[in-house]
Amino acid sequence: MKRLIALSVLSTLLLTACKASGDTIKIGFIGPLTGDAAALGKDILNGTQIAVEEVNANGGINGKQVQIITEDGRCSGSDATNAAQKLINIDHVVAIVGGSCSSETLAAAAVAESAKTIVMSPSASSPDITQAGEYIFRVYPSDAYKTTAMVKLFQERKYKKIALITENNDYAVAIRIGLKEKLLKDMFVLDEVVDLGTKDFRSVITRLKNQQFDVFIPNASQNAVMGEMIKQFREMGFLQPIVTQDVADTADVLQMVGDQENNVWTFNVPDAGKDTVFEKQFDSSYGKPQAGIVWAAYGYDATRVLLSALQQAQDGESLSKNLLNLQEFKGLIGTFHFDENGDVLGIPLALKQYQAGKIVTIKDIPVD
Amino acid sequence: MQLLVNALLAGSLLALVAGGLSLVYGVLGVFNLALGQLALVGGYATWWLTQQMGLPLLLSIPLGAVIGGLVTWASFELAVAPFYRHHRFLPLVTTIALGMMLDAALLLLFEERPRAILSSEKHMIEFFRMRFSLEQALLVCATILFLLATAAVLQRTALGRRIRATAGHPDAARSLGINSSVLHRMLFIGSGVLAALGGIYMGIDQNLTPTLAFSLTIKAYAALIAGGKDNLFGTILMSYVIALLEQLLVGLPWAAGQYLPAGYQSVVALLFIVVVLLIKPSGLFSSHLRIT
Repeated sequence: MKRLIALSVLSTLLLTACKASGDTIKIGFIGPLTGDAAALGKDILNGTQIAVEEVNANGGINGKQVQIITEDGRCSGSDATNAAQKLINIDHVVAIVGGSCSSETLAAAAVAESAKTIVMSPSASSPDITQAGEYIFRVYPSDAYKTTAMVKLFQERKYKKIALITENNDYAVAIRIGLKEKLLKDMFVLDEVVDLGTKDFRSVITRLKNQQFDVFIPNASQNAVMGEMIKQFREMGFLQPIVTQDVADTADVLQMVGDQENNVWTFNVPDAGKDTVFEKQFDSSYGKPQAGIVWAAYGYDATRVLLSALQQAQDGESLSKNLLNLQEFKGLIGTFHFDENGDVLGIPLALKQYQAGKIVTIKDIPVD
Repeated sequence: MQLLVNALLAGSLLALVAGGLSLVYGVLGVFNLALGQLALVGGYATWWLTQQMGLPLLLSIPLGAVIGGLVTWASFELAVAPFYRHHRFLPLVTTIALGMMLDAALLLLFEERPRAILSSEKHMIEFFRMRFSLEQALLVCATILFLLATAAVLQRTALGRRIRATAGHPDAARSLGINSSVLHRMLFIGSGVLAALGGIYMGIDQNLTPTLAFSLTIKAYAALIAGGKDNLFGTILMSYVIALLEQLLVGLPWAAGQYLPAGYQSVVALLFIVVVLLIKPSGLFSSHLRIT
């Protein structure tokens, strides 16, 4: 009998302990902290942490401190599903920042949508996320705009024949599908999908030897793969211009390709966070960013817009409504708001060019 | 012709890693599933010595191989030596664990970003419509020379005879006074050095990332199994054959000018094992005489 009493006392204590955690507001984070995209994930997480620390230093949300619970999504759908289930069902987070990769965001969206929990992605760009649900938001423009901008560039420059190599993952495949929808089928002299992480493209590129084409699109999802695609294409002696997406807009790829290269063009969101107080704070807290300060800025803004909505309401339904009705949010990445699908509006794209070992912005392209 | 060059490039890398594997399996009968990670250790060590410490490349390569050898030695004492005499499959599990630990260590030490050992532009050569760089040509030549040297040691020297004797019949060899435990250590370290050279090869020709270890191991096993599990030459030959098949399959038009999708390239190695095993279950170049 004593034991029973002791047990029931213990369980009541435990239960009240659970309730006591109501003093903090928990938000979840999903991003790749290990694996090939870890550099990006860590920068975003650090940006998120800076935003949370700022809010906590200013008294938190309604007097409660914000606690961030971090899960590793490994840039994979299955890991992100597990992470989202744990965050929602066990940790009872009010909202999730993430996933960083499109595959993570899509997987987490399926879990979060049915639990009416907000998912705010800092960096997922797959066009599929537009229709992922009413609780799914992102501060990063959809790739649909990126392929539209590419096609426009091809028309301006009168490129008729295109060689495309795609690395097989959600992000790069979505770009490929976007291009195929917007261009005629016979414009592709090469359209190959290679395994994730392939580093030897010599045999595929060899096929181009007797072909006439105007532009090469290396469509990789990882820095190491993108670098090899560009390098091996040039090593085979091809001089055609190279047009591609944001993976090429990283210091890593630029370094691999070398400073002799002047004919690589890449579409990305504009640089953000450079030479700001935020960058100084980042450097002093976490050291130099691994993938780029721009990713930290996206993590920072995604978290800040979410935290400012949490000041007003904390249940999923009101949160979603408030975010959709948001007039404008002044962030590091620009002044933005959300459309009816939770996609960001107000962040333009930028066309950039490799010039003697530097990546130079040629022009900003507004998105509408 | 370009496809032949491509195949030589890819095959040489595979041959280095698989060659080491074949030595170890042939003599110790042990599967080392951390070999890909050991290759990366060699590659990253060389990268660190050239790019961070500023040593000349010709000095960093042997040093990188030595570091690869030392790490292999440590892994042998840690994950293989205490277990393999009890059951030859035990190291299968321990080396997987070791591989995971090495993966994590590499990730911590060298971060996620791709690392290339050579930072300068390559010097391209065009030769009978084949394009390759001077560096690649040197790499392939060095690899083939090195493998031939290993083979010569195995076939022509007293040490090689001892190794082959131990592979054929360990107990008989021991009764004739061959110190098999020293021999095993040497061989295991030798395989690590070969793998480390493979990693250096990859770091020079392409780039290094911490996650590519396992796929390298898998391909090396394909060459090993197809070549006959205890035959060094068979394994090396099969490395080149698999590389050539991979290149031909996606590089040449098949029926009606249609190409096979490049996504199937990595299936080749596995399909090849299946076919070889169906025809000759012991591998193409293995001899049953040794075992009986």
